[in-house]
Amino acid sequence: MQKRNNYTEIEDFLIDESFQSWVRTNTDNGNWEEWTLENPKRAKLVEDARIWILAMKVPSDTLPAATLQTALIATWNKIEQKETLTKKEVKLWKYNWLKSVAAVLVFGLLASWTYSHLFTANNSTKIYNELIDENDEGLVEQTNNSNNPQIITLSDGSSVLLQPNSKLSYPKIFVGNERRVYLSGEGFFEISKNPKKPFLVYANEIVTKVVGTSFRISAFSNEPNVEVVVRTGKVKVQSNEKLSNSNKNKEIILLPNEALRFTRQNSTFNKITDITKDATLVHSIRTIEQLSFDFTDIPVSQIFKTIEQAYVVNIEFPKDKLKDCHLTSALNDQPLPEKLKIICKALGNNTSYEMNGNQIIITSDGCN
Amino acid sequence: MKIKFKNSIPLDDSTLWSKLKAGDEKAFSLLFEKYYEQLLRYGNSFSSDTEKVQDCIQDVFADVWLYKNTLNENAIVKAYLLSSVRNRLARIQERDHIFRKTTSTDSLDFLFDFSIEHQLIIDESTADKVNLLNKNINLLPSRQKEALYLRYHQGLSVEQIADLLDVNYQSANNLLHRALLHLRKEWNSCIPLLLLLSPSVL
Repeated sequence: MQKRNNYTEIEDFLIDESFQSWVRTNTDNGNWEEWTLENPKRAKLVEDARIWILAMKVPSDTLPAATLQTALIATWNKIEQKETLTKKEVKLWKYNWLKSVAAVLVFGLLASWTYSHLFTANNSTKIYNELIDENDEGLVEQTNNSNNPQIITLSDGSSVLLQPNSKLSYPKIFVGNERRVYLSGEGFFEISKNPKKPFLVYANEIVTKVVGTSFRISAFSNEPNVEVVVRTGKVKVQSNEKLSNSNKNKEIILLPNEALRFTRQNSTFNKITDITKDATLVHSIRTIEQLSFDFTDIPVSQIFKTIEQAYVVNIEFPKDKLKDCHLTSALNDQPLPEKLKIICKALGNNTSYEMNGNQIIITSDGCN
Repeated sequence: MKIKFKNSIPLDDSTLWSKLKAGDEKAFSLLFEKYYEQLLRYGNSFSSDTEKVQDCIQDVFADVWLYKNTLNENAIVKAYLLSSVRNRLARIQERDHIFRKTTSTDSLDFLFDFSIEHQLIIDESTADKVNLLNKNINLLPSRQKEALYLRYHQGLSVEQIADLLDVNYQSANNLLHRALLHLRKEWNSCIPLLLLLSPSVL
């Protein structure tokens, strides 16, 4: 209480809790009344400070206890959710780790077996990590640790929508006469057409080979099955010949809306000709597979909205200028960069796009 | 139903904080109950979307619990929470700005308005002065207003305000200083006029 004798500014009073409570609630524990009257100069300052406090009220209506409790419960729920998420990751890691140990053991056994049987192919389960180790193209790895799908564009103009907890390894630039990428987890692929350079996705035990099409692969190392679902075009799937001996050269051809399930336990392929009748697949269908990109005289803003939903991106575009623009176009079969290119071209010569991560900016002077 | 603990001495923040860090769920709940409402009010002054603000504050608390091992032992709990809520809201706001394609990329605007302690004012001349001052305070730039709020309502130190607003000490000091200077100037030019007009003086 001694320090108040040195108060010379209104600010000094404003931060004094005892003074505040005297003004607000009239509880004069600090004998402010008496202290003020001791000195007329002081009285003026105190009066001014009082006015400041009166003019700076912050409402203090108390929250009902029930609301507070609901909020607290909601927070604990959030904690639980987030905890299970991280635990899952740990589990996955452990599983992978165990798998590697198992793989090493199996490999050891098989190595001796192979040796005695003169290099017949071994049967070990190679996972993502080992696969990419074999590649010497200088791969880039992208991991999606977020809760939303992430769009990746490849050097050939193909795009991959990578789901959470998944990773994709790919060369910065595709060289040679094959385009090879490696997937762990789930991704939706839209491949730019190039018959001269087939596109191969290595996902756990299977290889998916295409020329230009769209399809989804789900190959989590901690799940019993690997699945391929085809949206457009034609897809060939075979087991990774380096890894298995039993299914060697067996190739399965999938057409749109067909799927394939590889059961890892016994290395069997199971073709599903009607994906709508398969309970697991029906549930696993992602937004991007449900949306149609066949547009007939649709406002361009609506088209952008569809793309935003499908690829989980943000598109910025001059709304006023493109207000009356309608497009008719079939974009189902195109990777994202190709879709954007086609839209820009259709809109007119002064339209272009720029893509940065999940941000897409369209510049345009309006449509033709 | 709210359970009250008899004979329990209210624990101070730093005790609760270290108990929380040690995994004490009750300490967590006590801090939550103590600060949730203030944080809600602070958050609501940046956004009219109460639901979003609630969600954001709950996320802040959830992270406090999940990352309790990495929290600073000597943190000033109130300043830490205010600042976490502010940062998180700023991030969300930024994301929404992009999404809604607004051109503004401003960070958070403190849209809060101070009100008047009407029931404590008896005489008219005080009322006039308070009204005028209140009007001028609410006309201050949002950052100055926020600095005043943090300083005089949350009792944060200038240093903590600087941290929270992500500026250096001098800038935070200037914010407060400029606000007070401006208000005092307005005050001095208007009070004599008020006194003249006020019938109670006659």
